[in-house]
Amino acid sequence: MEENLNKHSNISAADLDRLTKEANEEATPSSAKIIWNEFKADKPAMAALIIIIAFIIFVMIASLFIDTPKMMETNILNYNAAPGSNGFLLGADTGGRSVGQQLIVGARNSIGIAIGLTIISSTFGICWGLISGYFNGYIDWGMQRVYDFMMMLPMTMMIIVLVTIIKNYNAVTLTLIFSIFYWEGTSRLIRSRTLSESEKDYVAASKTSGTGSFKIIFHEIMPNISSLIIVDTTLSFAENIGVETGLSYLGFGLPLQTPSLGTLIANANDPNNITQYWWTWLPAALLIIVLCLSISYVGQVVRRAADASQRHGAAD
Amino acid sequence: MSLVEIKDLKVHYPIRSGFWNRVTDSVKAVDGISFNIEAGETYGLVGESGSGKSTTGKSVVGLEKVTSSSIMYKGKDITKKANRKSLDYNHDVQMIFQDSLSSLNPRKRIEDIIAEPLRNFENLSKDEEKLRVLQLLDIVGLDADALYKYPHQFSGGQRQRIGVARAVATNPKLIIADEPVSALDLSVQAQVLNFMKKIQREFGISYLFISHDLGVVRHMCNNIAIMNRGRLVEIGTRDDIYNHPLHIYTKRLLAAIPETNVNDRAKHRANRLAVEEVYREQQDKYYDDEGKAYPLVQISPTHSVALPEDVAKELILKEGEVQA
Ligand SMILES: Nc1ncnc2c1ncn2[C@@H]1O[C@H](COP(=O)(O)OP(=O)(O)O)[C@@H](O)[C@H]1O
Ligand SMILES: [Mg+2]
Repeated sequence: MEENLNKHSNISAADLDRLTKEANEEATPSSAKIIWNEFKADKPAMAALIIIIAFIIFVMIASLFIDTPKMMETNILNYNAAPGSNGFLLGADTGGRSVGQQLIVGARNSIGIAIGLTIISSTFGICWGLISGYFNGYIDWGMQRVYDFMMMLPMTMMIIVLVTIIKNYNAVTLTLIFSIFYWEGTSRLIRSRTLSESEKDYVAASKTSGTGSFKIIFHEIMPNISSLIIVDTTLSFAENIGVETGLSYLGFGLPLQTPSLGTLIANANDPNNITQYWWTWLPAALLIIVLCLSISYVGQVVRRAADASQRHGAAD
Repeated sequence: MSLVEIKDLKVHYPIRSGFWNRVTDSVKAVDGISFNIEAGETYGLVGESGSGKSTTGKSVVGLEKVTSSSIMYKGKDITKKANRKSLDYNHDVQMIFQDSLSSLNPRKRIEDIIAEPLRNFENLSKDEEKLRVLQLLDIVGLDADALYKYPHQFSGGQRQRIGVARAVATNPKLIIADEPVSALDLSVQAQVLNFMKKIQREFGISYLFISHDLGVVRHMCNNIAIMNRGRLVEIGTRDDIYNHPLHIYTKRLLAAIPETNVNDRAKHRANRLAVEEVYREQQDKYYDDEGKAYPLVQISPTHSVALPEDVAKELILKEGEVQA
């Protein structure tokens, strides 16, 4: 073996290690690396990223120390307590419940649902788009008709109907219900890229090399559209925070006893609250604005990183 | 018996439309062609772009769903997927692609690219596999440090060598070479063609060599088929095609070979214009009413041309007079 190797090349094992290292340095920078460089070149984006991550970590940990059922108990004595009074940093709402604590638990719930929804719907949409785009023919045709059917359904109305029909639902079932309706955009986007990617000769070469369809889809094609996947997932996340808060605001999201950013903003439905008791709804509204702006700003940067011609950061 | 026998190959792409996706028309990319590839020979398939050469090549390697045909290999019809599977067909028949950049996955190292067919068709240990890849790189004239690099780090000629290394990895009997040098500089073309020939001698490989340029094919092929609008218009040995072409389409392709000798340029140009003139005036003689080529008729043991019998005879007589 050793002998044979030496006969065919004058390179030893030690050289190979060195070459591996050299190759890694010269390699096409991975999507993650390119995106990271882009963040380093764009300070506001870096700030937005840090805000998002720090905030998510904060609410996840802080909410562990809050006893939600107790927090949600009505306490008439603290009716609309002003910020700073009675030990309420951000005041209390009409039911005498701490706005500050509700904000933390509500943000945890809203963000948790958005993350869950993003993971489920993006994973499903990516797989659907990849498979549909790769097997053009009857499989693609059938999958596209399912897509068309889902797009025909009035989404918000369907969710409201489902939420009304299902008696006992919680954050998990709500996430699953949302997921049924939020994979389509991703799947269409991924499908169209997969269609053009499947035309390329490296896919044909993999076929003649005897590689199976699913391995080609997930090991050959998917890495080549990874930047598109990252961009789409980031932007979906910003969108998905709005999905749950919007419905909760309308009263069709999480059950009443579960706070969310949407239920907090719904306090603004009362004219008294808007003018006199602003602390019941303003913090949640500001939080959503800052969060969505930050995430979509991060999304912009990721999109720019994926589109080589617009990059600010160095190539590698 | 020939290595591969292609009989009446047809590939029609359906044009679908409407909600029910019904077939309303079709593009006849390949429309009934037959030829045989012998073991160890290089068979040339020549025609201008869009004539259906790539589609033919892809059908032979099993990448294209054919409309109707039989392609016999080892006594089995490999247009059926089950037969390709049971024969491990692509272990024996491989392909080199025209666009060397798009045929190599940009996210994979050269080692993984060349090893791909080995991993699927042969059970090698990690060390054996690496050794085989190193040997293959050596055969195509690349250094071992290519192993861990990525495709974009190579020039076009080097990438095409990598494509060849992958194609010969499983020691196949037939390689479909689809315009393997069309995208390369003239100087690099010769290099790649030369080591393709070297590999052919050493491993006894047959090529189906596809090209739009009769100039390139001349140095590679013993037998040549000329393809036009999805049909074959002339089949013959190298001598038949280059020295006794009968079909006007073949003559046009020959006239289109660039003339390198400066002194002959004017003569070459005059010849090309004359051929174009004949092509314009006598289209209806060479093609049928629908603009399709006629069925092939045999005019010598090796030479066939797609013309009505009487026209073919008349042309042969005329050629004879010119030569005499
Ligand atoms: N997937 C396809 N769908 C529809 N038409 C196609 C497809 N692939 C090729 N064609 C058509 O078939 C014809 C032959 O194409 P091709 O085999 O690539 O020719 P060549 O390799 O000789 O240039 C062309 O007219 C092309 O437009
Ligand atoms: Mg072609």
